[in-house]
Amino acid sequence: MVNRIKSGRKALVLATVMAVSVAGCTGAPQDGLAAVRTADGKPDFSGIWQANNEAHWDLQAHAARPGIVTQEGVYPYEYAEVPAAPVLALGAAGGVPGSIGVVDGDGEIPYKPETAVIKQANFDNWVDRDPELKCYLPGVPRAMYMPYPFSITQGAKQIQMAFTFSNAARVIHMDPETTGPPDFTYMGFSIARWEDDSLIVDTNMFNGRNWFDRAGNYHSEQLQLTEKLTLETPNLIRYEVTIDDPEVFTRPWTISMPLYRRMEPNAQLLDYRCIEFAEEFMYGGLRREQLVKRWESETMIIDVTRKVPPGERLHEWYGR
Amino acid sequence: MFRRYLAGFVVMAGLIGLTQLPKVVQSVDAQGQETAPGPAPTTAWGDPDLEGIWTRDSEEPLQRPSNFRDKEFFTDEERADLDRRRAEIIARDASRERRETNGRGTAEQDVGGAYNAEIYTSHLRLGRRTSMIVDPENGRLPDLAPRAKEEMAALIEFSLALKQSTEVCENALPSCRGGEFIATPSPRRNEMPPYYITARNGLPGGGGGVISRSDGPEDRGHGERCMSSTIPDFRGFRRIVQSKNQIAIFYDTGQGQGWHRTVPITDAPHLPANVRQWWGDSRAHWEGETLVVDVTNFSPKSNFNGAHENLHLIERWTRLDADTLEYTVRVEDPTTWVAPWTATHTMKKQEDQANRIYYEPRCHEGNYGMAALLVGARTDEATFARGEGEDPAKKCLGACGGFASGFADEGDDANPLR
Repeated sequence: MVNRIKSGRKALVLATVMAVSVAGCTGAPQDGLAAVRTADGKPDFSGIWQANNEAHWDLQAHAARPGIVTQEGVYPYEYAEVPAAPVLALGAAGGVPGSIGVVDGDGEIPYKPETAVIKQANFDNWVDRDPELKCYLPGVPRAMYMPYPFSITQGAKQIQMAFTFSNAARVIHMDPETTGPPDFTYMGFSIARWEDDSLIVDTNMFNGRNWFDRAGNYHSEQLQLTEKLTLETPNLIRYEVTIDDPEVFTRPWTISMPLYRRMEPNAQLLDYRCIEFAEEFMYGGLRREQLVKRWESETMIIDVTRKVPPGERLHEWYGR
Repeated sequence: MFRRYLAGFVVMAGLIGLTQLPKVVQSVDAQGQETAPGPAPTTAWGDPDLEGIWTRDSEEPLQRPSNFRDKEFFTDEERADLDRRRAEIIARDASRERRETNGRGTAEQDVGGAYNAEIYTSHLRLGRRTSMIVDPENGRLPDLAPRAKEEMAALIEFSLALKQSTEVCENALPSCRGGEFIATPSPRRNEMPPYYITARNGLPGGGGGVISRSDGPEDRGHGERCMSSTIPDFRGFRRIVQSKNQIAIFYDTGQGQGWHRTVPITDAPHLPANVRQWWGDSRAHWEGETLVVDVTNFSPKSNFNGAHENLHLIERWTRLDADTLEYTVRVEDPTTWVAPWTATHTMKKQEDQANRIYYEPRCHEGNYGMAALLVGARTDEATFARGEGEDPAKKCLGACGGFASGFADEGDDANPLR
C-alpha cells in the first residue's frame, strides 16, 4: 500500500515544505502577538488547539483509500481493493482521506531495512496492533495531531497539556533541574526552554509501545524528540518535531504542521473516556455470552477477523 | 524489563504510588528552624496562585466516627490513641493462621487478605477534625433520599443473591451480612443487575469487585475497569498548573486511575443538558481569594457515594498560605441525599522539583487483571460443564471480603474510625 501511493508525492511534499519555510522565516515579532504574551513577555500558548490534517491516518503523503483495512475485490490489483470486514459496514464513512503528508524533506521515513519490515507488518495488521484501538495512552507526538482538541495551560513552572483522547496528559517542565519519572512512560518526560519566541521541548523516557499514526509508523524506547512550538499568529502554532531513534531509523527526521486554535467562543475539552469504548474490542471474546453474533436474514452478517499477532502481550499472557 | 512488565499491573501501580512518600515543603530559616509559612502568593497577573503539587499530610474521616458524635475536633490524646490502634491493625501479622480465624476463612479471602494491610494503607496520622464534613453539624452524611435508598437496597439484594451459595455466606462472613446461605445458586445469577454497576459504596464486603460474577467487564465495576476516578476526590496528589483563563488539575489517585481536568475560568453557561460527562462540566470564577468552581452535567454512569447525573458541586479552592491549600466542596443532589452537605480539608504543598507525582495513569494499559478475571470465570465454567471441579456458583468472585480496613474476617468492624 505504501509503495502504491508514491508517484506524484514528492512534488507535493516539496511544495509544502517550501510553503512552510516561507511562513517560518518571517522572524520578526508577529502582528497581534502582543495580546497573547504572558506577564514575562513569553508567547502564551494557553487555550484549546487542534491539528487539522490527515497525519493521524498516515504521516506520509498518501492517496485516499477505501478503508483503513482493505481486501482484494473483483480485480486482483492493489488499486482496486475494497473495504474489509472491520470497516465494511461504515460505507463511505469508513474510507481514509488522502494527504500531502507532514514529513519534511523527501517525505521518506528513514527506516532501517529490518525495521521497515516491522512497519509494513504493523500496517498490514492494523486492527490487531494499533494501540489507539485499545484506548491506550497515545504517546507523543501522536497525541498532538489526533483528530481531537487538546488544551494547553501555561503556568509559571510547567506547561500542562490535556488531550481529549483517553484523557491523556503531559507535563512540560520549565525547570531544567526537574527529575524524571521512575520509569519509562507512554507520554514521555518533557523539559522545555525558550529560544527567542519558540518553545523547545526535549522529550524522552518513552516505553516504546506507541505508534505515530494509523499506518503502522512506530518507534522504540530510544525515541528522543525535539519539539519546537512557535506561535506564528495568535491562533496558529507552528509545530515542528525532530524524531531521533537510532534503534529504528537511520537518521533523525522531521515532521511539521500547523496547530489551530479552536475559535468557538465556548470551546472546551469534552470527555472521550474510551476505555469503555474499547472493552468489547478487547474483552468481548471473553464474555460468558458474547454480544457480537452473526446476524441473520436481511440483516448484514459481519465476520470480523481479529487476529492476535505474535508478541501481543495481553493475549499471550491470558492465552497461556 | 521485568520491572516494567510488573509495573503494568494494577496493584503494582498502586504500590509505586505509595512508596513515593510525600515530602512536604518545610519553611525553614537560615538556621534550619521551621518558620511560619509565607503569605499566599499571587500570579504575575494578580490572581491567587494555586500552582503546585498538593496532597494531604494527615488523614481525616469523611464522616464523624459514631463514638465522637458531638466532637468537632479530636484531642491530642484521642489522636494518639486512634493512631496507635490503626497502626496495630495495619501491622497485624498476616500469617495464614490469622487469616483463617475460627476456621472461617475461604480461599478467596485468603487471597484478599494475603497481604497485611500495611502496603495498602497510607501511613498518615490522624488530623484534628473528627470529620471532613462540616455541614451538617453532626459531621455525618445526610440521610439518603428515597431514590438512592431504593437503588442501594436493590443492589444489596442482588449482590447478596449472587453470593448466597458461596463460601462467604456458608461461613457467615461479614461480606454476607444481611444475607443467608442457600446452597442452591440464585437464578438471579442470570439477570442483568438492577442498576448500572459502578462501585461498592454501601454494599457489604471488602476486597476487589462489586458483585460475585464475571460474565463480562461490566460486572466488575469501575475500579477493576480502571474508571474509578471521580470528583470530589479527597485522596492522592493533585498537580495544579494555572493560566489566566483556565486551570489544569491532574489528579493522581486510585492506583493508576488518575485523570486530567481542565477548568475554564468563564461566565459562560454550562454545557447543554444532554451532554453528560464522567467528571461533569466545570465553570470557575474568582470570589476574592477563592476559586469557585460549579460542576454539573454528570453522567448517569458516574458515581460519587451513590450520586449520579443529578450531582451538583460547588468547590472552593483557597490558598491559605505559601504551604497550604484549602478545598471545600458543597455537595447537592436531592435524589441522593435529603439535604446538601459540605466537606472541607487542607492540602500541603509538595516539593516541585522532585516531580514526585506518579503522573501517568496507566491502569488500563496494564489491566491484565480484567482478562484474568474473565478467563478464570470461563475456565471454571468449562471445567464444571465437563463434570469436573467445583460449581462456579459456589465461588465468590467479588466483594468477598479482603484487606480493607483490617482483615477479611473482620471487615469494616475493625476500623476504629468507622
